[in-house]
Amino acid sequence: MQQSKNKTQGSGSSKNRWRPGRPPRPDHGPALLKWMIMTGLGIAILASGAVSAKAADAPAEKADAHPYLQAHERASTMSTADHSTFAALKGPFPEGDGSAVTDACLTCHNKAADQVMTSKHWLWHPERKGYEDYGKGTWLINNFCISIRGGNYPACTKCHVGYGWKDSSFNFKDPHNVDCLVCHDTTGDYEKEAAGLPNPAVPLDEVAQHVGRPGLANCGTCHFFGGGGDATKHGDLDYTLLKCDKAEDVHMAKDGAGMDCVDCHTAEGHHIAGPDYPLPADMQEKPAYPGQKLDHIACTNCHGEAPHKSFVLNRHYRKVACQTCHIPAYARGSEASNVWWDWSTAGKLKGGRAYETRDKDGNITYATIHGSMVWKRNVKPSYMWFDGSMKFLLATDKLPQTRPVWINRPDGSYADPNAKIWPFKVHKGKQPYDTVLDKLVTPHLYGQKGSGAFWVDHSWPAAIKTGMEISGLPYSGHYGFIRTNMVWPITHMVAPAKDALQCADCHSPNGRLAALKGFYLPGRDREKHESDLGWVVVMLSCVAVVVHGGGRIFFHWTRREK
Amino acid sequence: MTRVVLYKRFERFWHWTQALLIIGLVITGLEVHGTFDLLGYATAVNLHDILALALIVLIVFAVFWHFTTGEWKQYVPTRKFLREMAGFYLTGIFRGAPHPVRKSRTAKLNPLQRLAYLGFKLLIIPVQVTSGLIYFFYPELTAHGWPAWTLKAAATTHVMGAFLLLAFLVSHVYLTTTGHTPLTNIKAMIFGWELMEEE
Repeated sequence: MQQSKNKTQGSGSSKNRWRPGRPPRPDHGPALLKWMIMTGLGIAILASGAVSAKAADAPAEKADAHPYLQAHERASTMSTADHSTFAALKGPFPEGDGSAVTDACLTCHNKAADQVMTSKHWLWHPERKGYEDYGKGTWLINNFCISIRGGNYPACTKCHVGYGWKDSSFNFKDPHNVDCLVCHDTTGDYEKEAAGLPNPAVPLDEVAQHVGRPGLANCGTCHFFGGGGDATKHGDLDYTLLKCDKAEDVHMAKDGAGMDCVDCHTAEGHHIAGPDYPLPADMQEKPAYPGQKLDHIACTNCHGEAPHKSFVLNRHYRKVACQTCHIPAYARGSEASNVWWDWSTAGKLKGGRAYETRDKDGNITYATIHGSMVWKRNVKPSYMWFDGSMKFLLATDKLPQTRPVWINRPDGSYADPNAKIWPFKVHKGKQPYDTVLDKLVTPHLYGQKGSGAFWVDHSWPAAIKTGMEISGLPYSGHYGFIRTNMVWPITHMVAPAKDALQCADCHSPNGRLAALKGFYLPGRDREKHESDLGWVVVMLSCVAVVVHGGGRIFFHWTRREK
Repeated sequence: MTRVVLYKRFERFWHWTQALLIIGLVITGLEVHGTFDLLGYATAVNLHDILALALIVLIVFAVFWHFTTGEWKQYVPTRKFLREMAGFYLTGIFRGAPHPVRKSRTAKLNPLQRLAYLGFKLLIIPVQVTSGLIYFFYPELTAHGWPAWTLKAAATTHVMGAFLLLAFLVSHVYLTTTGHTPLTNIKAMIFGWELMEEE
């Protein structure tokens, strides 16, 4: 999926990066500020110049700008530093030398790299106890591009917050390798390439001098492209969110709340709140001590536990995640999400060359390097019980007996008081496995011609053999393809309240929860034949009435005749 | 002929309000059950909850009324004339025989009515109210450890009770026509009095 659906990594579209609008402010604001500074504080002239220049190119604002937009603006004016004036960031930085910028950052932020180097953005495995092997840097496997471990590092680590993770020898302890800019660039001109190194064309001086709080596009540059292309993996995260309307996402839309990712995914010491591989349910966090800083991952942390007027709706919260009703479908922008990926058909050539076919919307239906694919927009999620934890099938695990193989499954059931009904994207496909050892394999996909890499050599036996050698896992030499499913929790693309699911979407015999068995759902479930029995009783009553009443009329008549 | 007041003002208010509430509950209940699509599921559920609450309030007042006025004694079952009443409904009514039981202010119900209404008050209504309350408060109850099967049990009981109510309603309405004239009883229930021959 490297190049196929990649529309944004080109500098053209990143130039169009949307910036949050600014709230209303009196016209005299910057002028007044300037006057005060000119007369009183000559030393700060530079800073005031920056502020007023920024305000001058602000577009005319609606008076009813969302409080979040105003908060963003307030925050942006309250910065105590103007990075464009720092000597350390003057440059010039050598072309493509991201580490030189990092070193400059660390001259002031001298503990930042230590923080980053303990984070999951760096380590690529979760910190949660019991899930040590669940990171994509370890033995986690998926049914998109399968695994990093088969020697696919440079392709995968394009999205690592570091420089140079090109094989397993990468030094995770070297602050020099940390990439500050991918998250803190505010110009939109920054771009990473293989092994996470900056594109040599990136104007590093300019970027370094305009660092700031991460916006939607910073997070999106990786998280919108999970699975290798826009909208491919998650279904509820894609590039359309940068310019979406309220109908697509009430939180991120600029005509909605205009929020940034980090408004909910708050950070403390470069540890961003959010899912590890096991994901949190939407339980409201309670501070453990007065003044404890909480993140805003859970809907309830902002909306409270009783956000509806209706008591009946509010109490659904015990068993139903907010997302279930409020995200009626995923991939609601213009981008389709990948729902089927069949690797078994990959490798066909046309006239000795790799080729691909696309549908009328431009989605790949077949590619030599990927196999067959199906893409869908506006997809109804699947619903499952979820307590915030998942079990994953790792590359080191034997396959389960059940088919298709579920690579991951949410934990939880109706009986579990902490589990709720959650919406999921289910991604289905076929991927290679070891038919003798009964395990999924880690093929070598990305590499030089002749290295065995599938994307250039198009040979499964070589790609799997090489991939297993690089990952250091045993391989019998025999492979086949097996159906696998994966689930991805849906939590973004929250729709406006008016588009939320209605009662009968679930409370009906053939509703969205028709497949979720094991509990009694009013409107969906009933005792077998209970209605039939009931109607028999009512009908007997009616028959009795008709017979008795008819008899009375008949005899009344015959009596009159006499 | 003299006017005998059989049903006092509160009694009539209680009867007809209860009738309307129960008809409303049957209609909205059947919609929630999935029998038809009339008001929309959300409206049906909300209306059903409101009507149920109103009915419970009415029942509380009615129970109070029955005990403070002593009217509860009207429902004490008796065997006296039971056989005659059954015979009247089975044969006498077709022959045009006279009603075997004479109504009076202190005994306005015939022995079969006593049995039927007592069953209604002590069986169907309590079962419906209890199962309905368990159904409604199930989320809270299960949080306090009630087993999951109680929801299904309450729902099934509630549905079966509703069908019994509906069957009762059909028979009840029909039997109102078995008075002196087909409309005698209904008129009495509306206006409160019936014309009777003096002793």
